[in-house]
Amino acid sequence: MKKSKIATLIVLFGLIPGTLYLGTRLSGRSYYLVGTLMVIELLIPFFLAFEGRRPQARELVTIAVLCAIAVAGRAAIPIPNFKAIFAIIMISGIAFGPESGFLVGAVSALASNFFYGQGPYTPWQMLGYGVAGLLAGFVFSKNWIARKPLPMAVFGAVCVVLVVGPILDLSDIFLKLTQIDLAAVVVVFAAGLPVNVSQAVCTFLTLLLIGKPLLEKLDRLKEKYGMMEAGGDGI
Amino acid sequence: MRGSDRDAFSKRHPLVNFVFFIGAIGCAAVIQHPVYLLAGAIGAGSYHLLLNGRKGWRMILGMIPMFLFLTAVNPLFNIYGATVLFHVFGRPYTMEALMYGAAIAAVFMVMLLWFGCYNVVLTSDKFTSLFGDLIPALSLLLVMVLRMIPNFLRKAKQLMGARRSIGKGAGEESTTKEKLSDGMTVLSALTDWALEGSVITGDSMRARGYGVAKRTSFQIYRMTCMDWTLLALISLLLAVVIGFAAGGSTAASFTPDLFFAPIAGWDALGLIAYCLFLLIPTALHVKEAIQWHISRSKI
Amino acid sequence: MAHFEIKDLTFSYPAAKGKRSLEDVCLSIKKGEYIVLCGKSGSGKTTLLRHLKSVLAPHGKRGGEILFNGVPLEKVSQRDQSAKIGYVMQDPDDQIVTDKVWHELAFGLESLGCDQKTMRARVAEMACYFGIGDWFHRDVANLSGGQKQLLNLASIMAMQPEVLILDEPTSQLDPIAASDFLNTVRKINLELGTTVIITEHRLEDIFPYADRAIVMDGGKVIADDTPRRIGKLLYEQGSDMFSAMPTPVRVFYGAGGEGECPLTVREGRNWLSRVFPEAPGVSSFPAEDLAEEVADPALLLKELWFRYEKDSPDILRGVSAEVATGSLYAIVGGNGAGKSTTLKAICGICKPYRGKVKVFGKPVEKYKSGELFHGCLAMLPQDPKSLFVKKTVREDLEEMTRDKALIEQIAATCQITELLDSHPYDLSGGEQQRAALAKVLLTKPRLLLLDEPTKGIDSFFKETFAAILGQLKEQGITIVMVSHDVEFCARYADRVSMFFDGQILTTDTPRRFFGSNSFYTTAANRMSRHVFQNAVTAGDVVELYKRNREG
Repeated sequence: MKKSKIATLIVLFGLIPGTLYLGTRLSGRSYYLVGTLMVIELLIPFFLAFEGRRPQARELVTIAVLCAIAVAGRAAIPIPNFKAIFAIIMISGIAFGPESGFLVGAVSALASNFFYGQGPYTPWQMLGYGVAGLLAGFVFSKNWIARKPLPMAVFGAVCVVLVVGPILDLSDIFLKLTQIDLAAVVVVFAAGLPVNVSQAVCTFLTLLLIGKPLLEKLDRLKEKYGMMEAGGDGI
Repeated sequence: MRGSDRDAFSKRHPLVNFVFFIGAIGCAAVIQHPVYLLAGAIGAGSYHLLLNGRKGWRMILGMIPMFLFLTAVNPLFNIYGATVLFHVFGRPYTMEALMYGAAIAAVFMVMLLWFGCYNVVLTSDKFTSLFGDLIPALSLLLVMVLRMIPNFLRKAKQLMGARRSIGKGAGEESTTKEKLSDGMTVLSALTDWALEGSVITGDSMRARGYGVAKRTSFQIYRMTCMDWTLLALISLLLAVVIGFAAGGSTAASFTPDLFFAPIAGWDALGLIAYCLFLLIPTALHVKEAIQWHISRSKI
Repeated sequence: MAHFEIKDLTFSYPAAKGKRSLEDVCLSIKKGEYIVLCGKSGSGKTTLLRHLKSVLAPHGKRGGEILFNGVPLEKVSQRDQSAKIGYVMQDPDDQIVTDKVWHELAFGLESLGCDQKTMRARVAEMACYFGIGDWFHRDVANLSGGQKQLLNLASIMAMQPEVLILDEPTSQLDPIAASDFLNTVRKINLELGTTVIITEHRLEDIFPYADRAIVMDGGKVIADDTPRRIGKLLYEQGSDMFSAMPTPVRVFYGAGGEGECPLTVREGRNWLSRVFPEAPGVSSFPAEDLAEEVADPALLLKELWFRYEKDSPDILRGVSAEVATGSLYAIVGGNGAGKSTTLKAICGICKPYRGKVKVFGKPVEKYKSGELFHGCLAMLPQDPKSLFVKKTVREDLEEMTRDKALIEQIAATCQITELLDSHPYDLSGGEQQRAALAKVLLTKPRLLLLDEPTKGIDSFFKETFAAILGQLKEQGITIVMVSHDVEFCARYADRVSMFFDGQILTTDTPRRFFGSNSFYTTAANRMSRHVFQNAVTAGDVVELYKRNREG
């Protein structure tokens, strides 16, 4: 069995339950700490799979370019607060598969925070952004949905509102609420909705307008260099 | 992003910095005992001011409305508590929930302050050098991304400037639709440019032997005697705090009734350890200032 | 034993349909030699160099053999090749992998798996040798182009290579940074005995030190001799590579000189002194009158002041200039003096806080949005790549206009008709420059601004480019050009201005301008100024020489 798979099993059946148990034993309110630890533990298998793959120079460079474009992309669009980051992450996932998609998302989140400041939300962002790439890669690599502009755009928007946004809001719930019950959770999610919807719109537009050409560029590159073929099954 | 040498603690090895912040932020996230919270606020606040000077005051003052808001909002969600102050929408608004809100808001603020310090002290190169040996491929990836971001920002600007100088591209007076469509053109061109360059970067890596052997990682930071001492001190103090916390001496509960573990006798030791721990960066700074003063007066 | 032995190397790219990019190349390179490889773009120089390192060798059909230290290259391990064969590429930016200078220096050593102690020692050594100490801790993003390329060289030298291969390493650098870089390469060759194989446009800086010059054309080696003798070979063959030779060589053979060919300005001066021991009869071209007032200037700049940020220093400090309609106006001067900023101020990308810009008599801010850039003013940016946004050159041109006939016509003017269906990134530097120019010309500008148009292109492309500019001038287009390329300005400009310290200091005709400068002038002028008064191009010197000898 591959090392990364063993690590995944250890994380899922050892570390995470262990952390939960620890959470029940800690005095005081430990939602945030336990939640964040679990988020970081979830990131570990992905990272180890990447390490274990011993990525080639071209693969490493291409992933780095995608992460950097995801972060720097905002400078290209002269509309304030227009974020193309999710769109780029999702396209990476669609082109290079779920595992690379996750990596691009997680690393973009971390890297972008080196410029805008790390905070208690950093691990959550890494997970949330990563999941965006992961889901996109998963859904489109199985050809469940056609790789056409409109389906991609709709998927992107839905994914941001229903999955990525809520993951980011979760950190707020754990950080700021004293009593976690349904009503409170609904309120936090509702408060996050406007931001999430606006980002969904950005993602929708970006994927609709340039999703296809960007995908073509990456597909051509993949064909040319035969990248990301080994170990695409680490999940 | 610059390698930080603003103060004595920043000059220490990244591992020392990292363990300290993990400890400080971790404790801040979990412990809600008001006395510990106060200690955390003083520790974080003083170091924050030391690092940021006047800008630091602005940030701390800016946090107050947020603190009040979070405090006041909590009782709306948390209706437990013995002392009902009044009713809102038919739900009780209790004093205990208000206190709880204040504690949580304080926890949040202290964490933000620590993160503020973290961002100044633990620059990107320190962060990546910490993980260079542990996860070589990922830390190289991160280093490459950090190299490319400013490069792409500059290229994006260059593309936009070039388009404006031939009458293309969106100006301030363009409609949102024009801005959007031009932005997409630039984004796509930027991607092209970047992917084109990536072929050269890949060649340059392979030409310098990437992949021919197991990578090592160049450690520009070295653990000195002082660093080891500090690391030992930090670990010891943290262990004491965690020990006392596990023993229940930092326990605090707010609803339905207020209860704070009394700080008396042996339990005071936990608090003392916590305070000593938090004051390490500030103390280092003061120590250096005094030493500098003495050595200068000798000249 | 030869360091590199290339035997009958033949190569063709898969897409080239049998057309060979390298044909029967045979070369032997000795240890410690300094070899300069010249040839037009597309002559196979880069293809040849890349074959000298297995990881960089292009895919395609290959014949022949390459021996490194007597061992076939493919049998030399990747590890040995990585350490022993250093390769510096053209683009300073894209070669850099990491974000910090110190990390980049260590990158190769990290890859080879060196231990901390070795890395520390080597990195420190390199930082000292290359004078990097001052910027050792800096972010790569804050370095100048010259520093970046020096860093690329240093990070390769840290691996202690036996051979250093450099593929047009200075084409993206300004002249001062370029000669710094080339001096360092020479120092490495002299002090460490590292074998150097370099391709370069700036032969004037290299020829005096090179052991051998190898000239390629159409994938073949057409000449292989010492630099001193290579000029004669090329001159006799009537090769068009002759025009890329250093000025003294061109003047010497152009004038029909006898004896040993001069390579440097100093040798050129000595040769002229020998030929003309007494002051020659015709020592200058007739003086030109500089018209005092420019009637109806196409562009008028009056006392421009500009700074990028509120509390940053002024970049433009009272720039004033007048450009006559239909002329080619060149602005020369050092780096960071504000030349490019002046162009940006003319376009309105930078807004001066004081002063006036008038384009065709009308203040620039009075032009309605869009009006300025349609049929009036346009700028060709320094990096032509920044204008390409589409998949083919044609699509890029179609972004500007729907008028197919106009596109065809301008493509013909710019000599890119055959390139229209290529991807812009697949073109060579000179072709990209012309494609970008075509895109700019589709706005039908009457005033054309060029920012460093000759950067990174070789002498043939420069001539083509100059011919295109000549045609544009005939159509009545006014051209303002910012350049480091003194030789190009001397040959083609109508007026030359010196930009220094945020101002335009002097403006004159090229002949008077360069004729009166003694440092900041052309090689031809430096070489002949003790004999002739105002000869500024190689052609000028040859002409005066002949007039005196024949008359």
